[in-house]
Amino acid sequence: MVLDPGHGGTDPGARGTGGIRESEVVVDFSAQTKTALEALGFQVVLTRQSTENPSFDDRSAIANAQRGAVFVTLHVASTGLPGTVRVYVMSDLPASSDTTGLIPWERAQAPFLPLSRRFGDLVQSFLSQRFKGSPRTAQVAAVRQLRTTAAPAIAVEVSSVAVDDRGQLDRMAPGVADAIARGASAFRPSYVVATNPGERP
Amino acid sequence: MPRWRWWLIGMLVLAVAIAAGYFPVLKRNLRLSAQAPAKSEEQVRRELTQPAAANAGEPVGKAKLFWSSGARDGSLMAVTVDLPLPRDPVLRAKQVLNTLLAGPVDAELRTLPPDAVLLAFYLLPDGTGVADFSEALATATPSGIESEEMAVDSILRTLEANVPQVRWLKILVHGQEVDTLAGHLDLTRTFLVNARAVALPARPAAAGDSSKPAPSAASGPAPAKSPATGAKKSASPQKLTPANPPGKLAPTERKP
Repeated sequence: MVLDPGHGGTDPGARGTGGIRESEVVVDFSAQTKTALEALGFQVVLTRQSTENPSFDDRSAIANAQRGAVFVTLHVASTGLPGTVRVYVMSDLPASSDTTGLIPWERAQAPFLPLSRRFGDLVQSFLSQRFKGSPRTAQVAAVRQLRTTAAPAIAVEVSSVAVDDRGQLDRMAPGVADAIARGASAFRPSYVVATNPGERP
Repeated sequence: MPRWRWWLIGMLVLAVAIAAGYFPVLKRNLRLSAQAPAKSEEQVRRELTQPAAANAGEPVGKAKLFWSSGARDGSLMAVTVDLPLPRDPVLRAKQVLNTLLAGPVDAELRTLPPDAVLLAFYLLPDGTGVADFSEALATATPSGIESEEMAVDSILRTLEANVPQVRWLKILVHGQEVDTLAGHLDLTRTFLVNARAVALPARPAAAGDSSKPAPSAASGPAPAKSPATGAKKSASPQKLTPANPPGKLAPTERKP
């Protein structure tokens, strides 16, 4: 499992009027998600652990360098109903016409879209049970971070930095971590990893 | 006392008398101007950003614009507005996008930042529209997948509903391709607006065509079908609202 706390460094991401910074909140969410995943036997890699800000491609590269990785990028929204969580999967990408079997970096997510959708729906179903008002199935959006990731990949976005008290978000972290871990566990049997490099899932 | 001093005193007395007589008039004018509605910043901005196409010579039609539904779930609602709608697809696109940017009456339902301006709009022969916005689109859109998706989706759905010639859309910020809108949504791609777009009529190459920018994806547009765009296929048919004076908003129509 590759966990990606969004933003970082000079990029704070969404900022609330109360001083809440997305880049800081997601580090805590990722740490709790890591613990929940490891408790279920997953090996977990973080794309950042403190205030650094890897590029989109650097974050994707961490997942793309693993075999059989599953990628989750974590975010906190500026908007949305506070206390809800949405899962996004990448919108359609054109299939590659490359005959070499290599996956173009710019459209690395394309062959994994069905798997991402399945994983996203699983995580979203667990989140909707925990956080009322959340959608029941994953949403589709052209999320930049997902496009270059050659693995089942989802974005999880919590609402929102607009809350008055950071504690409201912190109290959501265990539930989000648990839903991601349970979703990953339910997804694992259906994820058949390609045996040859470059082979499509 | 010399005579000139008498004259001076007389003139001063006369001036004071005139000023005293004028004072009630001045007071009344001040009171009236305070009561008159001052032009709000929003109103002035709307006037400044009115597209050139919006002139009395164009036929007034019903435009369907997509702003936030207010449900705080990222959904949009269609609002029918009577607007001068030019037949030329480029002018028509500018008209509806400028009205979309101007925003709804309820500022809470905006999908695009109030400071953002449409700098240019081009339409390529293959149906690819290129919308060039000012930097405020990127710097003032609230950061987040939901808010950025809603901003782009409102543009796509508004174009789809009103400019049938636009098949794809490329969004530029101040003439440049940018990686993301506000940190999340991918703007390096070309978005699908309407898979059933009307083909542009063949026309001889005009001088203006050569100045049109090519879409960044040299290999052709890469579609990004938004969830809302996909969902609209199963949505109930749209209802048209009664005719209203040009530019006035009709009652809103909610759309999931």
